[in-house]
Amino acid sequence: MSKSNNGDNWVGKPLPRKEEQRLLRGRGKFADDIKMRDTLYLRFVRSPYAHAKIVSVDVSAAEALPGVAASLTGAELAPHVQPFIQIGPDPAAKIKDYALAVGKVRYQGEPVAAVIGESPSLADDAAELIQVEYEALDPVVDAEEALKDKSILHEDAGTNRVWNGVFEYGDVEKALADAAYVVNIDKMHFHRFSSTPLENNVIIAQWDPKDERIYYSCNNSFPSFAIQFLSAHLNVHIDRIRVQTADIGGSFGIKITSYPQMAVCALASKKCGGRPVKWVETRTEHIISSAHGNERTFRDTKVALDKNGVITAIASRHIDDCGAYPRYEPLGCVIWAQVFPGVYRFKNARIDFSQAMTNKCPVGPNRGYSRMQHLWFLERVVDICAHELDIPPDEMRLRNYILPEEFPYTTPNGNLYDSGDYPKMLQVAKGLIGWDAWKQKQAAARKEGRLLGIGIGTTLDSGTNNFGQSQIINPHAPFSGNSQGANCKLDIYGEVVVAVGSCPQGQGHETTAAQVVADVLNIHPDLITVRTGFDTERNVHTGFSGTYASQFAVSGLSAVHGAAQKLRAEMKRLGAYLLETKEDDVEFGMGKQGPEVRAKSSGKSVNYWGLANIVNVNSAVLPTEMHDVTLNCRYIWRAPFQVPDKVKKYGRLTLTYAAQLHIAVIEIDRETFIPRILDYVAVDDCGTVINPPIVEGQVYGATAHGIGAALMETCVYDAVGNMLTSTFSDYVPITAVNMPTVKYGHTETPSPHSYSGAKGMGEGGAAPVHTISAALQDALYDQGIFIDDSFNNADSIFRAIVQKENGQARNLVKMERRA
Amino acid sequence: MAIKFSGEFEVKRTPEEVYDFLTDPAKFAPLLPDYQGMSVQDATHFTVKVNVGISYIKGTAEVKMELAQAERPNRAQYKGQGSVAGGNVSLVAGFDLKPNGDGTTVGWQGEAQIFGRLTSVAGGLLEPLGKKQVQKLIDGLQKALIPASEMAG
Repeated sequence: MSKSNNGDNWVGKPLPRKEEQRLLRGRGKFADDIKMRDTLYLRFVRSPYAHAKIVSVDVSAAEALPGVAASLTGAELAPHVQPFIQIGPDPAAKIKDYALAVGKVRYQGEPVAAVIGESPSLADDAAELIQVEYEALDPVVDAEEALKDKSILHEDAGTNRVWNGVFEYGDVEKALADAAYVVNIDKMHFHRFSSTPLENNVIIAQWDPKDERIYYSCNNSFPSFAIQFLSAHLNVHIDRIRVQTADIGGSFGIKITSYPQMAVCALASKKCGGRPVKWVETRTEHIISSAHGNERTFRDTKVALDKNGVITAIASRHIDDCGAYPRYEPLGCVIWAQVFPGVYRFKNARIDFSQAMTNKCPVGPNRGYSRMQHLWFLERVVDICAHELDIPPDEMRLRNYILPEEFPYTTPNGNLYDSGDYPKMLQVAKGLIGWDAWKQKQAAARKEGRLLGIGIGTTLDSGTNNFGQSQIINPHAPFSGNSQGANCKLDIYGEVVVAVGSCPQGQGHETTAAQVVADVLNIHPDLITVRTGFDTERNVHTGFSGTYASQFAVSGLSAVHGAAQKLRAEMKRLGAYLLETKEDDVEFGMGKQGPEVRAKSSGKSVNYWGLANIVNVNSAVLPTEMHDVTLNCRYIWRAPFQVPDKVKKYGRLTLTYAAQLHIAVIEIDRETFIPRILDYVAVDDCGTVINPPIVEGQVYGATAHGIGAALMETCVYDAVGNMLTSTFSDYVPITAVNMPTVKYGHTETPSPHSYSGAKGMGEGGAAPVHTISAALQDALYDQGIFIDDSFNNADSIFRAIVQKENGQARNLVKMERRA
Repeated sequence: MAIKFSGEFEVKRTPEEVYDFLTDPAKFAPLLPDYQGMSVQDATHFTVKVNVGISYIKGTAEVKMELAQAERPNRAQYKGQGSVAGGNVSLVAGFDLKPNGDGTTVGWQGEAQIFGRLTSVAGGLLEPLGKKQVQKLIDGLQKALIPASEMAG
């Protein structure tokens, strides 16, 4: 067993993940692995229509089937529950959202009824017997059309507009008037996709009649958020809801919004006398109705630039599509403002932001949530301007990047960027990919008529939200700040046990938490047990606990560090008493009988078992003045935020800013139009690295998701709201087969805003989406084609080229030269 | 997903005879491809059962039909709505009848809207299959409207 001596040794080491031992051996425990006696199985009956009135629901044939325990419909549930909480203000606050459709359906795949049977297959058969009569209504699947309110989704709200607000800073009009160049971009579109987890949603619920409590085993990834919604919806005190998670096979934010299904499972259990009810989502259910990422349209963009190509102002109108129910929205209407200027220095900006509901699957906070759409927009703006002004894309970025010496940097909307060195990241990435050599190859390829492009994507991964930004959306929202809890204890036999309020889905929290505690106690991480998963009964969660938004390295580990420090202080005090010395004479380390505290002066020591024994089972020897020592230390870490200025939409919205810089080289096949990645580099800066392989793994994962999103994954709806990509045949997630070799690079600018210098990371800011768009733009600019959509495959590239050749292409970009 | 179809054919029957045939569910409905049975609710409403087989998706569809327009002997229009595993269908099918010598020109047009998962898992098959089934119906209709005297000949 290795031993560290002076603390701070384990953080930063490439320690293999503790989790691998069980996950790689098939010994992980996932929600579907949980078997409970007397379990019933639930199936949903889902709407084939995107928009329709429910005329009738006939469950008689299903209920008559032997082995069917019960059925549920929206009309049956509605009188017994409250509509789910709406985060937005009026009119969106008037939306009545139920777990099963009441009166009408608003997207294809919306649950209309549920049936509960003795086996999964029996429940499947019974679901087929439920007859639902619909009266079709006009659907609206385009956000801009939805804002015209010709067909209203939620009559209670009276409009499809969820939210609108203008974010304006500096003097945009003056900057436009003074500009040497103004680039106008008519319309761009960020497509709808969903970062696909390996494991679908799974819920087991038991509404126990003996204690009137609801027990959940599930894979929801933000349980403290879910229980707040469930408590109000089910009229149940929040302490009566217990949620446990175990291993989770990916979430990427999509599993945050499974609380409606959690409600149905609990109500089904209640109706069935308290028997456990299990729902295991099918892949098609997941694709059509779990959650998608936000789709966004960017209209009427004006970019002011000086004579050197430095951007001085951006004005634009953004329309976000949140699908049929807001749920986690309209938070996305402000989350993007965490990265308002991206990595760029411009000070004048006006973004008119609206969000609309459409007859499509509700969105959820998909990996890179809301920020990736905005960052893609900014990167397209920078690239298009670079091409229009004939400035090389790397040079364009260098002229516009926030410079290292400007950190900490206050953005126009009041964010405080902690640290960064974007020029250095660009330099490292260019070195890794062999920029100059590729430029030469590109020139040669173009002479041969080949379509070869090199693209840069620079992006930010803002971590640890200030939930006070919700008050910019809704001044009455009762959220602000951020917090995370942890507990660190010496158990009765002296084991160090850590519990955290997160619910990791592969991010290695057990390992990194152990590294942090190991440094505090000066022992090996293997001597530290970190509890797997989330459990409300551990009492370490706060209202923000979960795993989302790139924050564990800061919020989670700060809580762990705080709890470990408290434990260390108690151990030191107790040790000093037992060793008859002063506290500053006590040191931590390994002894012959395991981890111990010892007196430096005398060499006497007491091991962890001895400490824990006296506090827990031998306490008569403990003097009264030591009775406050518990060796069971709970710590709540709180982020140093204030509520932002709601009127000016100004303030710190996030604590840390990791950055990613990717470069891709792509060639478009002249015959098939298939874009092929020839070379790819990903450079990451997440401040002080807690565990290098874990960071590197997350960079690869985020890169895979981004490449998949850019080239392969898109949710396609037809004009009446049928989702045409409901299986993996049509919605094609990226796999190892499609992944290029990624050259990984790393730079490190420690954050002054976290105790360790670490920054939250893992979402990756969808850097590949920006990068691939940029590379395709570079390949096609000479053809007169602008990349105006974040999704590009052979088909869309072929169409763009044909449209251009036939003179049918829209005039997307216009540049005014004022100089 | 919308599938549109239209066409015309000629028969040696009077418009009244063709109209009476088209508006009699007992005569018209069995011409539907893979017809299994029918129940009549009233003079303008009936429900037909047809077998559906689209690749590996197989089942029975119940389609509620309504004679929505009945202008003897010029026009008849049916509206229908039904469901099958994985989807729902709404259809409108109209027949315009024009005298043509001693016979009738039958102009037919319609649109089927398909909703649900079926559009995703079988989307590419639906349009050719739908058109094939419509052609079967029209072929059957033409055959059924051949005068008995010609049949015998």
